[in-house]
Amino acid sequence: MTENNSEVKKGKFNGIVHGNERIGEKFYRLGFDVNGEGGSLLSGFKPGQFVQLQVSRAGIPPDKVIPSALSDVSQRDIILRRPFSFCNIEVRENSTLCEILYCVLGPSTLRMTTLSGGDTVSVIGPLGNGFWLPDGRKKVVLVAGGIGAAPLEFAGKYLTKNHSDIEVIVFAGAKTVNELPFEGKLDDISQNLGYSLAVFARYGIESKIATDDGSAGFKGTVLECFQQWYKQTDWETGEIVIYGCGPEAMLAKLSEIAGKEAIDCQVSMERRMACGIGVCQSCAVECKTPDSAKHENKLCCEDGPVFDSREVVFKI
Amino acid sequence: MANENEIDLSVNFCGINLSNPVFTASGTCGYSDELSDFMDINALGGFITKSITVKPRMGNPTPRIVETDSGMLNAIGLANIGLDAFIDQKLGALNDLCPIVFVNVAGESIEEYKQVCQELSYRREIAGFEVNISCPNVSRGGISFGTEPKVVEEIISEVKKVSGDKILMVKLSPSVTNICEIARAALEGGADALSLINTFTSMVIDIHSRRPVLANRTGGLSGPAIKPIAVYLVNKVYTEVTKETDVPILATGGVRNASDVVEFLLAGATAVGVGTWNFVEPDVTMKIIEGLKKYCAREGVNKIKELIGSLEAD
Ligand SMILES: Cc1cc2nc3c(=O)[nH]c(=O)nc-3n(C[C@H](O)[C@H](O)[C@H](O)COP(=O)(O)OP(=O)(O)OC[C@H]3O[C@@H](n4cnc5c(N)ncnc54)[C@H](O)[C@@H]3O)c2cc1C
Ligand SMILES: Cc1cc2nc3c(=O)[nH]c(=O)nc-3n(C[C@H](O)[C@H](O)[C@H](O)COP(=O)(O)O)c2cc1C
Ligand code: FES
Repeated sequence: MTENNSEVKKGKFNGIVHGNERIGEKFYRLGFDVNGEGGSLLSGFKPGQFVQLQVSRAGIPPDKVIPSALSDVSQRDIILRRPFSFCNIEVRENSTLCEILYCVLGPSTLRMTTLSGGDTVSVIGPLGNGFWLPDGRKKVVLVAGGIGAAPLEFAGKYLTKNHSDIEVIVFAGAKTVNELPFEGKLDDISQNLGYSLAVFARYGIESKIATDDGSAGFKGTVLECFQQWYKQTDWETGEIVIYGCGPEAMLAKLSEIAGKEAIDCQVSMERRMACGIGVCQSCAVECKTPDSAKHENKLCCEDGPVFDSREVVFKI
Repeated sequence: MANENEIDLSVNFCGINLSNPVFTASGTCGYSDELSDFMDINALGGFITKSITVKPRMGNPTPRIVETDSGMLNAIGLANIGLDAFIDQKLGALNDLCPIVFVNVAGESIEEYKQVCQELSYRREIAGFEVNISCPNVSRGGISFGTEPKVVEEIISEVKKVSGDKILMVKLSPSVTNICEIARAALEGGADALSLINTFTSMVIDIHSRRPVLANRTGGLSGPAIKPIAVYLVNKVYTEVTKETDVPILATGGVRNASDVVEFLLAGATAVGVGTWNFVEPDVTMKIIEGLKKYCAREGVNKIKELIGSLEAD
């Protein structure tokens, strides 16, 4: 994984939807194929990179299936694209299959739920810089909060497929079981550690889930769950790198823990984006500079969304 | 129906012949070649850089944007790399371009506007300045330079003194009582062209947190939502101020297709800028240029110039 993607060409392409499967109450998995030049550009997509998806022309679901909290919001017109990472890609001979794992939160994600086989979606990508593997790191710890699991699913696959000598473990947490974006009856899982999450188990990756209310897996936050594991693991600090994705407050704490333990840590940041391509300046992430008295703004879309956690001045 | 390829899209802007009337608007297309993966900057009629100030600016805290129905608010806060970095890193890529290139100039004081213009006045890469007078005037408690005719005249006449032979275009704010007064003041000060409009000051409230969504509380509304107001203001300034002069208007506000451009030309604009829609479809300007040819072919218009200010009277 490279640290700098800015030389790679971006483009605007159409994808043909072939599936949009509901996962639990709030989550969906959208799959689409991109052919031709777009397919070949997206075949180099790295975990943590993202696309800008246009769904303003997708339909609105019928009133009776719109959650009441979103019924007013559903009337809003959409103009801007929305940023999404990929939770999986599969490169085929003439096309690239792209998958987005998304949470229904507002007008665009509500419209996305109505996409079905044969529909066309427009994407701009690949955008930003993904996670990277610093020299000498052989153990990767994925730490996901809620929908933050999306790019980390792809990171797990990418790492295990491209590096035979790398070990990966994932910690996925949420407030409660319904907010975990995975298939299966998670509340049945009694063991704290194992191969409980199928999307990771298929690449031989161990997973551990945590819920604040104890409705599935470890009772407590995903960070407490990680810390408990870290105390007794035989993985050496110097060979570990953490990839974190989730709410900013969680990433801030993760960064603090990693800092104290001197573990390498990368975080995927989220900002409201208008363009995603570096021209609107809306997505500023405050960063430290070598001159400790001065901070600078970097762009989440161009310089990130993945940053070294030591660099970021978190907003909490 | 005329042949699309024989249609003359050229317009004359302050004595310069442009291949077509389509510009990219300040703050929506970077400093130079940032959108080149999506479009050919050389196919544009004009290009306007992000606002430049003397020193680099970090801009406002985030959130800096929020979407609304048919539009968006931004409170970027003039974040930019500053004059020196612009000259060192970006100016080179603007050399020998086909479109007319304007550097958008911003400042907190008249001195700051002058310094930017003076240092760029002898650079052959650019044709002129677009002076953004919607900036807060620090010495007057932060009220916008662009709201008082006297201040506008002063700022433009001062900048004119240091701008050499560069074209001086003044970008008007719509958040004023009488835009024609401001337009006249800009012309009194020596403006060669007018650019309108900048964004409308607006607010969006998050009803869960009961706070404004933008960290800056307010932001500027842009996008299709403002287009009818922009058409009205362009037509007003054209009929009341510039019609009998040779001062061209660059119209901006909510453009996303060729029909929108034609509307502004009919209202009196000589050229038309595209802002927010570059974010949605970064190749939109290329499609608009093609669309203009199609419109002219369909309507039997041989030269697009003929449309300028040709709104039928009652
Ligand atoms: C690089 C990147 C990758 C992403 N990847 C994924 C992904 O894989 N899966 C996924 O489900 N989501 C992802 N997101 C988030 C996704 O873009 C938003 O959920 C989506 O834009 C919501 O659109 P909407 O119209 O449905 O709701 P909106 O009305 O736009 O937003 C819904 C709610 O989220 C808040 N919100 C919106 N945007 C942001 C933001 N950038 N930061 C903080 N709060 C915000 C709003 O205030 C509102 O309460 C990603 C975001 C970024 C920046
Ligand atoms: C994100 C954003 C940044 C902008 N930055 C600038 C700027 O730096 N200077 C300026 O004069 N206008 C700026 N503008 C205003 C645009 O140039 C344009 O006048 C306005 O957005 C209306 O056009 P539109 O509706 O096509 O976007 C900005 C607009 C947006 C949306
Ligand atoms: S989203 Fe426009 S610059 Fe990052």
